[in-house]
Amino acid sequence: MGEAIWAEVLKARRSRLPWLTVLAFTVAAGVGGLFMFILLDPDRARAMGLLGAKAELAGGTANWPGYFALLTQTIAVGGALIFGVIVIWTFGREFSDHTAKDLLALPTSRTTIVAAKYTVTAIWCLALTTQTYLLGLAVGTALRLPGWTTAVAVEALARMMVTAVLTVLLVTTLGLAASVGRGYLAAIGVMFLTVFLAQVIAVLGYGHLFPWSVPAIYSQIGGTNHPHVGPIGYSLVVAIAVASVTATVVWWHTADHTL
Amino acid sequence: MTTSTTGKRQLDATEAAGPVIQVSAVTKRYGPVLAVDRVDVSVATGEIYSLLGLNGAGKTTLIRMLLGMVRPTDGQVSLWGAPVGPRQRAVWARVGYLVETPAAYPELSVRENLRLAARLRHLPGSAPVDEVIDRLGLREYAHRRARTLSLGNAQRLGLAKALLHQPPLLILDEPANGLDPAGVVEIRDLLRDLAEAGTTVFVSSHVLAEVARLATRIGIIHHGRLVRELDTNDLAGWARPSLRVSTRDLAGATDVLRRAGFHPTADGDALTLPDERAVAAPDEVATVLVAAGCPPTHLTVAREDLETYFLRTVGGLDGGHG
Repeated sequence: MGEAIWAEVLKARRSRLPWLTVLAFTVAAGVGGLFMFILLDPDRARAMGLLGAKAELAGGTANWPGYFALLTQTIAVGGALIFGVIVIWTFGREFSDHTAKDLLALPTSRTTIVAAKYTVTAIWCLALTTQTYLLGLAVGTALRLPGWTTAVAVEALARMMVTAVLTVLLVTTLGLAASVGRGYLAAIGVMFLTVFLAQVIAVLGYGHLFPWSVPAIYSQIGGTNHPHVGPIGYSLVVAIAVASVTATVVWWHTADHTL
Repeated sequence: MTTSTTGKRQLDATEAAGPVIQVSAVTKRYGPVLAVDRVDVSVATGEIYSLLGLNGAGKTTLIRMLLGMVRPTDGQVSLWGAPVGPRQRAVWARVGYLVETPAAYPELSVRENLRLAARLRHLPGSAPVDEVIDRLGLREYAHRRARTLSLGNAQRLGLAKALLHQPPLLILDEPANGLDPAGVVEIRDLLRDLAEAGTTVFVSSHVLAEVARLATRIGIIHHGRLVRELDTNDLAGWARPSLRVSTRDLAGATDVLRRAGFHPTADGDALTLPDERAVAAPDEVATVLVAAGCPPTHLTVAREDLETYFLRTVGGLDGGHG
């Protein structure tokens, strides 16, 4: 397993994608910080041209809990896309670059190859979440946000990490889609479909039972309007992940590899 | 398998005992398309077996079945007696392969691509990578990203990955693709040396001249079926002889020879007579032509080459004249 993980890390390190994902979450933390800056003193923001003269901001509170909530929601929504892109790239590139065939008849098993890909993508996504949290601490400190307590910071870290883990579990479907679709396109289609369905089903009030809505609801993106995610919702997320990873391994073992 | 200090491989008992490759009545269907049809192939240790066929004949499908990438619809493929499948990790440790166009991670250097392949093959240290870089003449390009390589050097990188672990079995799909003439000769010599040292080589190709020079045995595959197997050391057994006649009046000579019961065909600036009578008695042909006022300027008895044999065989199967 160590050798396969080393190989996946090397491929990732040599690509631009890690830097692009770091940039994406840095921008997200920065935009969140800007939002807090404006909320702290809207008149100052208007004077600086950051806010239109008649614009009103709603739905945010300029304090540490408010900023952490914003960052957690960024992980839930941005993660569904950016974590998704990471998984799609990790699996899909083997087919687009025609390198998958070089992974099929080795002393390293296909199960190990698939497991290494999912492991590296999970670590990558959790590292991005950690980066977002740390950036949030730096930005919040620079803005001198009110409401800091250690308990708030720890609770925020836990909520962000759980949101990230839920999202990481769900994007395993995209590894399966990129494998079965032998490239990026089908998986990107699945990603947008799940994001779309997650929005619609959450609006209809059934999001707590639809796995792809669970991370956003857990992150309290809709406030307290949605029913809480219960054991069924969490179980469905885990079941989706187990089924996707298992199906990916089975596909790599049993499909006819003609690319 | 072990490698002695002279580089000659010494075979272990399992390698020496039976065929390295055993393909038994293997069929592969993709829906209504019959890609491979009841093929039987057996390849012994140290052989260079070349699978020859037109594009779409089923060569790559058969190679993918040998490597466990495609599951046969029927029949069985085994390497060293073990049925081929994705879980045969011990077998894959002893196989080097190159399937279709060589692939590499474009943003990784040549050395990194090889290092990655070495790690996935559980090879220790950097010595195998250095050795294969030198062997394939890639030293100059070792730090260059794979995306910037020419087709020929990308092919060398693909071959380097196949040779990295000094496997006792090489399965190579079109190994000479993209190589310049010097590179073709170099790889041919390399494969011959490996075979002499005990490596079994299974190659597919549609480059007939290359196959003729390299292989010890040839299998011709056509429309998914293995239609002929030839031993290249037994040229007389399969290569048909013919008499080649040059004359200043080809049209006149053709009429004369037809009237005399021969079956001449125009072949560039000469005529080819496949008739046994003509091959056995070229003087009789000369006499007929001289008497008719079309004296031959050159007479040669020649055996057909692999290209002619292949086209005749395939053409015959398709109902053509070959």
